Amino acid sequence: MMMLTSFFGSGTVYAQIKITGTVSESGSNEKLAGVTIFIKNTQDGIVTELDGTFELTVPNEKSMLVISYLGMETQELMVGNTRIFQIMMNSSASVMDEIVVVGYGTQIRSSISGAVSTVSSKDLEGVPLLRAEQAIQGKTAGVQVTQNSGSPGSTLSVRIRGTGTINDSEPLYLVDGVPVSGIDFLNPGDIATINVLKDAASAAIYGSRGANGVVVITTKTGKMADKQYGSIQYENYIGEQQAWKKMNLLDAREYAILSNEAHIAAGKTPLAAFSNPEGLGKGTDWQEAIFQIAPIQSHQLSLTGGSALSTFALSGSYFNQAGIVGGAKSGFERYTARLNISQQLKPWLKIGGNVLYTNLNRNGLPENNEFNTPLVRALNIDPVTSIRKFDGTYNYSVYVDTDLANPVNAIENQYNTWQSNRVLSSIQADISIRKGLVFRSSFNRDETFASQSVFIPSFNLSLDPASNDAPASERNPINTVIKNDFTWQNWQWENVLTWDYSKDKHKVNALLGSTALANSYYFLTGSNINLPSNKVKDAFLGNTIAPRESQGSGDFASASGMLSFFTRFQYDYANKYLLSATLRRDGSSRFGKNNRYGYFPSISAGWVISREDFWGLDALNFMKLRASWGQNGNDRIGEYSFTTIVYPGQNYTFGSSETITSGSTPLEASNPDLKWETGEQIDAGLDLELFNGKFHFTADYYKKTTRDMLARIPIPTLVGLRAPFQNVGTMANNGLELSLLYQEKKKTLNYSLGANIGFVKSEVLSLGPGGEPIITGNVFSAGNVSRTDVGHPVASFYGYVTDGIFQSQEEVNIHAFQNEKTGAGDIRFKDLNGDGIINEADQTYIGNPTPSFTFGFTSQWQWKGFDVSVFVQGTQGNDIYNGIFRYDFFYSNRPQSALNRWTGAGTSNEEPRVNLNDPNKNARVSDRFVEDGSFVRLKNVQLGYNLKHKLLKKWKMDKARIYFSGQNLWTLTTYSGLDPEIGSVGGSLEIGIDQGFYPQARMASLGLQLGF
Amino acid sequence: MIKVSILRQGWRHWDYSLDFKNKEMKNFAINKWFALLFLFSGSSCEELLLDKKPLVGTTLDNFYQTEADAVSAIHAAYAALQFEMSPEGHFRWFWGDIMSDDAVKGGSGDNDQPLLAALEQFQGPVNTGYLAAEWAADYEGINRANIVLEKVPGIVMDEKLKKRILGEAYFLRAWFFYNLVTIFGDVPKVDHLLSPSEYKMPRSSAESIWNLIESDLTKAVSSLPLRSQYTQADLGRITKGAAQGLLLKSLVWRKKWAEAKKVGDALISSGEYKLESDFNRIFTKAGENGVESVFEIQYMTESGGNWGNNNNNEGTFTNVFVRARGQFDGYGFNIPTKSLVDAFLSTGTEDPRLKATIFRVGEPMGDRGIFTKEATGGYPHDYYGKKYFNNRSEQATFGDPNPNGGTNDRIIRYADILLLFAEASFQSGDETSARNALNQVRTRVKIPEITSSGNTLLEAIYNERRLELALEGHRFFDLVRTGRAVKFLGSLGFKENIHQVFPIPQSQIQASNGAVTQNQGY
Repeated sequence: MMMLTSFFGSGTVYAQIKITGTVSESGSNEKLAGVTIFIKNTQDGIVTELDGTFELTVPNEKSMLVISYLGMETQELMVGNTRIFQIMMNSSASVMDEIVVVGYGTQIRSSISGAVSTVSSKDLEGVPLLRAEQAIQGKTAGVQVTQNSGSPGSTLSVRIRGTGTINDSEPLYLVDGVPVSGIDFLNPGDIATINVLKDAASAAIYGSRGANGVVVITTKTGKMADKQYGSIQYENYIGEQQAWKKMNLLDAREYAILSNEAHIAAGKTPLAAFSNPEGLGKGTDWQEAIFQIAPIQSHQLSLTGGSALSTFALSGSYFNQAGIVGGAKSGFERYTARLNISQQLKPWLKIGGNVLYTNLNRNGLPENNEFNTPLVRALNIDPVTSIRKFDGTYNYSVYVDTDLANPVNAIENQYNTWQSNRVLSSIQADISIRKGLVFRSSFNRDETFASQSVFIPSFNLSLDPASNDAPASERNPINTVIKNDFTWQNWQWENVLTWDYSKDKHKVNALLGSTALANSYYFLTGSNINLPSNKVKDAFLGNTIAPRESQGSGDFASASGMLSFFTRFQYDYANKYLLSATLRRDGSSRFGKNNRYGYFPSISAGWVISREDFWGLDALNFMKLRASWGQNGNDRIGEYSFTTIVYPGQNYTFGSSETITSGSTPLEASNPDLKWETGEQIDAGLDLELFNGKFHFTADYYKKTTRDMLARIPIPTLVGLRAPFQNVGTMANNGLELSLLYQEKKKTLNYSLGANIGFVKSEVLSLGPGGEPIITGNVFSAGNVSRTDVGHPVASFYGYVTDGIFQSQEEVNIHAFQNEKTGAGDIRFKDLNGDGIINEADQTYIGNPTPSFTFGFTSQWQWKGFDVSVFVQGTQGNDIYNGIFRYDFFYSNRPQSALNRWTGAGTSNEEPRVNLNDPNKNARVSDRFVEDGSFVRLKNVQLGYNLKHKLLKKWKMDKARIYFSGQNLWTLTTYSGLDPEIGSVGGSLEIGIDQGFYPQARMASLGLQLGF
Repeated sequence: MIKVSILRQGWRHWDYSLDFKNKEMKNFAINKWFALLFLFSGSSCEELLLDKKPLVGTTLDNFYQTEADAVSAIHAAYAALQFEMSPEGHFRWFWGDIMSDDAVKGGSGDNDQPLLAALEQFQGPVNTGYLAAEWAADYEGINRANIVLEKVPGIVMDEKLKKRILGEAYFLRAWFFYNLVTIFGDVPKVDHLLSPSEYKMPRSSAESIWNLIESDLTKAVSSLPLRSQYTQADLGRITKGAAQGLLLKSLVWRKKWAEAKKVGDALISSGEYKLESDFNRIFTKAGENGVESVFEIQYMTESGGNWGNNNNNEGTFTNVFVRARGQFDGYGFNIPTKSLVDAFLSTGTEDPRLKATIFRVGEPMGDRGIFTKEATGGYPHDYYGKKYFNNRSEQATFGDPNPNGGTNDRIIRYADILLLFAEASFQSGDETSARNALNQVRTRVKIPEITSSGNTLLEAIYNERRLELALEGHRFFDLVRTGRAVKFLGSLGFKENIHQVFPIPQSQIQASNGAVTQNQGY
């Protein structure tokens, strides 16, 4: 669409015509500087000044002007009679005109040769996001975002193109140029754009830590606009969350029936209390008792504005989410305040400053382990026990043991609060040295001051406190308070010299830069026991009767630094041939003097075929081929692994008065040859657009190899020291990413449909010269589940293979030997090596927790004032090891499927007999507990309504939208546990083991967006 | 602890870097943007950012220089004595009692430590966490002793103290190798600090390990003070007597009877040790480090330890593991067998030591209540061990009570010395000395003396060991070294020439790339 106002001039035809004009953005009327206006098919052109004006001499009236600018629709106008032009430019609908942030600069998408996915604030409009990482979940092909837990404020793990390495696979996050270790402090409403740099070439400029991809986030800023007023935006939503699923467990009657059977099978008398199962009825529904409806709310206010020479943005937000398990006991609260200003102080100097403050408060319950978490306790405790005793105090189970305490009491008697204050501040200066040469210096600081307060009051659930009849886990005789203080202080100083040069159709961008950064960490802890008061408000270290006996303390400190130099060269010919090359040199304090520096090069190229003269297909208005190769580094290991440290604190007791005496000794072998881990990636991609931007398609194929992986590979324990970090092993991730987007803009109806899918296959190529597999992932009642070995995907499941149930003693006898007491009704395990004995040699790979592919589907519809959007996300092909039930306790509860147990020949071939003992070890690690974790989830549905323009004008408003949003409304999965979205507790080598993961909440909320 | 100074040191470090930047900023104003860009290429700046020394702890090059360092080093070696759950349990009573006919595993059932049950049934699983932890813990102790033996001689310090410290290190190394050789047989002989090229060491024969043990203990005997020469503050340190005691045990294992008799004689005639007059007192808190104690691993309750810090607790987990479940707050392991109880009752009259060794139904379990099967949570066991039981009143007043049991581990008692001396005397032909030593032990508990001779006397000595040292981690090893394992444990699955040692942890065979080989039969 073109909007053009012209003033009629004198109309004389001259050999040369002089024209002048101004270029502005339509709608905002912001003057646009740097807009290219050139005469089509010639080399002549000009660029608009700071105030948007230009002056150009054209040959004749038939000359065509081509006007182009980053992010705007390119226009072509014939000069005709007009001499003074007022040109308005519109934001481009084409994805190819989108601006992409690519490391120390921006580029138009059509000109990048790397693989970058972008999510802009437009895509995030009105979607209630709890955490910033959720913004990219399912929207970017090849990026898998998993919640590590559904509890409020919990972290998400982000994997770009598979699990890159066996140590830390998290990507590098940059917020306004500041490298941060996580983005939980960020208010999602402050995000302007998120760019995910997926291939080595685009991430290369960040070299170190870019091995797992880079997530570049920019926050909203104001706009430079002369005599334009700013805008005020207020958004809020309030909602409710609930657990979307409850597991089917045995009720009291069924539990009693099975218990009686189990006793008889073990040759014991059934319990007197269970002599009449029918009389027990349903019993207690423990899941009901710990799950609750939890509220959530968010408020945001942002003010942006600017003048001809300055911009500012000021915003504040408040977010509060209670947990569906434990309510406020697992709640999360966040306050943020942000100020961003920039000023064109001098024609050659632009300065900017940014301050972001976040205050987080989080109450946490133990989660994601099978010992003391309320969730696992609720699922394993017997249904016969009532929640409270007749006198109203909490009850304890006389059937189950130790760990499986009353979860409702456990939630009440636990206080674990985390509070953190974080300030991210930066100042930068851009100095225009001369035309095209800019020097930017930026300094930033990231400070976090966090504290944690843990209080466990004393309690005793015994019927008679004097007799202590309750088991140990239901009694806490001594109250304890622990206070921990954490301080992280990081600073970074970056200097970049950029040179932009364009002549005719050649465009060159070169940059040279350096970064220096330092991190420091300090930890202080103090504890106290036997406080005189049992109230949490009195829980202080100073409240003690006998300080010397009861108080303890300790501290720890560490520091690291990095010094880097980098350079990049980009060449663009006629927006048709693209080339980019980068070289970065990083030095890290984490390696010894010999191996401090790593060199990380990359190169990428692109060819926009559709701009070639021979291109005939009009419908296919854009087609680009691109390829890249690059290397990135990773140094995410402890600070001092290259040297041997002698640690104090190796204590013994001497003396008749039992005095603790300290000793010192090295604990870890050293590895002075420790060096950078390198990731190498090649990528080939295709970008297509059809029907003038209506249909957009991107495909990427990549091959990622990580070499010299930093890991603690076990050394023989006869060395007597912990294994050091070594550079061992190689891992490969190959994959394919596809994404498509279809947008249609009609008179009253606009709609878009988008989908993305990412396939990845990971394989461990080598694990060092010894090559021993790494075994982790311990499930207490069964054994180790995860195995990382050469030739297999990382963290694969490894165990026995089941082969039905023995239906008779004969069947037991003819099969390989399992255990002396194996009987009919027990599980038959396959004798894989045919040696007649079932032992460790009969174990094999039984599952893979990494999905074959992840996908997302989005759709948005707008009709008159209404809008509807849908977002579906899922994974396919990943397995989950169900480790929820405590088979090591013979009295713990079981899932309903246990009712299908074997009771006689032919009654079941899946579920073994119930028995008090388990001589056959039916609970061992086997495919019995491996389930398909694939899922499709309706992640978000939104219905909104925008108030009519007329009404808004009356109240001096720009926008008023009211919406209803539902999260996790529907999930399709065959997994029997509480939620198929399982994160990982033990790092990259332990994935997909469900040990009582806090499930995602289903949420419904109502929101309001107002703009003035 | 050097708390405050580290805090200051950390901040000093930080402040220093800030000052440096201010200086550089002045330079910038002078040299314009060119200097700014290459600001950090100076080597001094590189050093500042990239040369980070650890803030807590010292680097190896700066340690082992002073007397305090030497003392600190030997303490770290002592600390390894307390490793029991590192991270899996590998208690002495696993190997000594559960594997024998004196006790069964226990716990909450078949699925509680199933691999331990497999070991108990002599199924020989080769990759249990317990044996891997035992192996690792012993070698960690050996490494700490080796550090002392290698680094301390070079320190300029009081010679007498240095001699004692080296003596302690020799003993500790011998003790850890003693554990290894009695449990695993042939093991790698790590007698010095290893360089990475030596990590994949093959096994040495049990005989050469025993030779090392004997030579280390001989050196220890000549370097260590007598128990009576230590002060109260040093209670718990290794004494000359402890070294002699362990040497006696080693020589008896190797059937070097004459030498053993000599060492036993020297220890007995030193007059440093006596039998406690009341047997019941030995395993009480008051009886810790008593007159009868030759070598005792110290534990204390008030150290505030917790489960997540297994190697840095000063308490023992044994107390909680061997107590009954239910209201007794234990995990119910190491359950005494009827066979053991019957041994106490075999003469017709109940041996007085039964009461101090085993709890029977109806008896009070200290101050924790009366022992009934319901009180233990309904578990079917009729007996529980008493020697390592601790009262609720003795529990830690702070920290997690479970890893903070204070009961010292009585490794070598004088009664054990007398019985070993008796055995050695018998085997060297001196039946009189044998009988005398045996009867000293019997007289202490006021049971009739033994007057027999010949094989009957030997059997009596063996039987006395079973009753006197029941549930102290001796039975399995006594059966193996006297060749009676098949007789008593054959019905439990013990096979000749296989099960007298435990399987080498498969993970260590793999870690050494096969340099370390497996024991025959596994």
